Amino acid sequence: MKQFRFRYVASIVLAAVMVVTGCSSGGTETESGGGQGGGQQVTLSMHSWRVEDTEGYKAIIKAFEADNPNIKIDFKPFKATEYNTILNTALQSDSGPDILQLRPYAPGITLAEAGHLEPLDNVPGISTIPKDVLAAATGKDGKVYGVPLSLNSTQFYYNKKIFEQNGLQAPKSWDELIATAKTLKEKGIVPISFGAKEGWLLSLSHGVIAPASYSGTNYLDKLLKGESDLKSAEFLQSVQRMQELIPYFPENYVGLELNDMRTLFATEKAAMFINGSFELEGIKKLNPDLPLDFFPMPTNDGKHVLTTWVDGSYAVNAKSKHKAEALKFMEFMATKKFGELFANQFKRISAVPGVSTDDPLVNKMAELSQSSATPYLMVVSFAEGKPTTKQTLENALQGMYLGKLTPEQVVEEVQKSAATWFPPFKK
Amino acid sequence: MRWLIHLFPLPALVIYTLFVVYPIFSAFLYSLYDWNGIKRGVFVGLQNFITLFTVEPFNEMFWNALRHNVFYFVVEMIVQNGIAFGLAFLIYRKIRGSGFLKIAYFMPRLLSVIVIGFLWKLILNPNYGALNTVLGKIGLEEWARPWLGDPDTALLAIILINCWFGIGFAMLIFLAGLQSIPEDLIEAARLDGATGWRMLWKMILPLCMPAITIMTIFTFIQAFEAFELVYAMQGSMGEPFYSTDTLAVYFYRMAFSSGAGDVTLGLGSALAVVLFFIVGSVSALSLYLMRKREVQH
Repeated sequence: MKQFRFRYVASIVLAAVMVVTGCSSGGTETESGGGQGGGQQVTLSMHSWRVEDTEGYKAIIKAFEADNPNIKIDFKPFKATEYNTILNTALQSDSGPDILQLRPYAPGITLAEAGHLEPLDNVPGISTIPKDVLAAATGKDGKVYGVPLSLNSTQFYYNKKIFEQNGLQAPKSWDELIATAKTLKEKGIVPISFGAKEGWLLSLSHGVIAPASYSGTNYLDKLLKGESDLKSAEFLQSVQRMQELIPYFPENYVGLELNDMRTLFATEKAAMFINGSFELEGIKKLNPDLPLDFFPMPTNDGKHVLTTWVDGSYAVNAKSKHKAEALKFMEFMATKKFGELFANQFKRISAVPGVSTDDPLVNKMAELSQSSATPYLMVVSFAEGKPTTKQTLENALQGMYLGKLTPEQVVEEVQKSAATWFPPFKK
Repeated sequence: MRWLIHLFPLPALVIYTLFVVYPIFSAFLYSLYDWNGIKRGVFVGLQNFITLFTVEPFNEMFWNALRHNVFYFVVEMIVQNGIAFGLAFLIYRKIRGSGFLKIAYFMPRLLSVIVIGFLWKLILNPNYGALNTVLGKIGLEEWARPWLGDPDTALLAIILINCWFGIGFAMLIFLAGLQSIPEDLIEAARLDGATGWRMLWKMILPLCMPAITIMTIFTFIQAFEAFELVYAMQGSMGEPFYSTDTLAVYFYRMAFSSGAGDVTLGLGSALAVVLFFIVGSVSALSLYLMRKREVQH
């Protein structure tokens, strides 16, 4: 009996020990497959936050593997909101992937500054990508750390049929936009599908509306040099215009989220929808017959602008065991072939210049992003600070829509946030 | 071989140390560094705590979130525990169908919090949600509103959903408390002429104190760590306009917020330490005070 008890206890202790050691070995095991076997076959692990793109990447990776038979790529996406945490932990414990998707601008660049990324300046083809696109993955040391994947553009989508039935055309000025909205409202149609529940959509919509108030890069230069600030008349007007649109939003818009907005537009209850190129696929899936078109934002001086920014790039882990192979993939990503595969697979604007797709709307976006693009200021230049200036704007706009802040108070908040970190304002 | 008995708790102890004690101590340590989540930065001593309480917007967000936690606790105590005690009392008095009711009240507890969040988001949707539709049908249109989008109603809506979720559990605790009261004590009181409210106030409530103490402390801890439902329904920003922010959501936002590069693990850890002290000290204190008031039988 005594012996039985001893064995019993011993097995529990052993089990406990196994739990503990099991945990620690699970933590250090690398996820990068390593080149097993003698055939010089190398498997690269590739991490991303785009779970919805898994199918599309299969086709792209197949094309790459066909040209590089000794390299296999294991694409592994994670939940977008968990991605940064998972990636940071893996990189710190030296178990990161060989290839990783990099957040654009400040958040991604911090990874390069921490020494986790391999510089890519010598990758062939990189120099064909425009400098302002590369800027999204360029460190403060001037080196390029990522191959940009695609441009995002934001604009007003509109329902061609509703516009035609009411004798309307894409507006050419702010006043025309308001007049269009007014006509639609009188006819009992929701002019703009909009919701204020999710902050990021507020800064995104502001990103579309605002450039019209400060037409031209002239103001931007002054702003980024610190000769003007976010309390300037131009920026204030952009916030006031966000307020001016309130009568044309759906009922109870403060409680609506992206899902509701998309549905209102796709089911033809609303005539316009401010959103990104990345929404194109989703709207079409909801209603393939929707007579869809878009217009860029008309500016005060009679021109128009399309707001764009780079959406993520791919980078190589500085501690990868198969750097040469990973760099091969980077080289592939900078080619027109990749650009075309990517653009057609995802209906997105490729970061590789001169790529066209089989979708006329994407082609129109790609053209405008070459001829009349303006940067999405909050993402490109004001995505730093704790909380970020972008987040501050989102919250303040939410406050404005809830009647708690005036446009003057909104710009006050935003300027205050930027002044805590933006070097030209930090005086 | 009797000493071997002392080894029995070892597995639990090891796991507890690894997953509870160690993280708490590491949070203490992290709170002393300026850390963006990628590379541990410089040692800054108590600077994170000072920032948390004195620098805008961190201090504003802290007090705002703390206020919401207190509100959470008060509403749960009154609504959730009040109703739960009433229900427990009814079942204790063995009304008809009490067995069925016991199960029915406990039902919401069986669903995952994420499912509950999703379900209620649909019910409260301003466009097609059941609640606004029903209000419209019974002639109360002016009551219809974007419940979760309006900062005046969003937090209360979430707390009430949490109450609905928690009533079953609280009721079972109270019921166990009621059932542990010795029959002969009640009988004796009845012979002495105690009835109705008098019986409830003078006999049943005091004898139920252990269950009430436990439930109060549970509710306090739950209210101060409120996270899942808020996150499931309003995301990590405590939207709209920080009106549903709680300390745990605020902590999550600072320590793990993703997308934007605004992770401040050091500051987040400092908040976690503060939260640990609030929950720990208040729980210990109330346990001590309420134990003293419990009657022995």
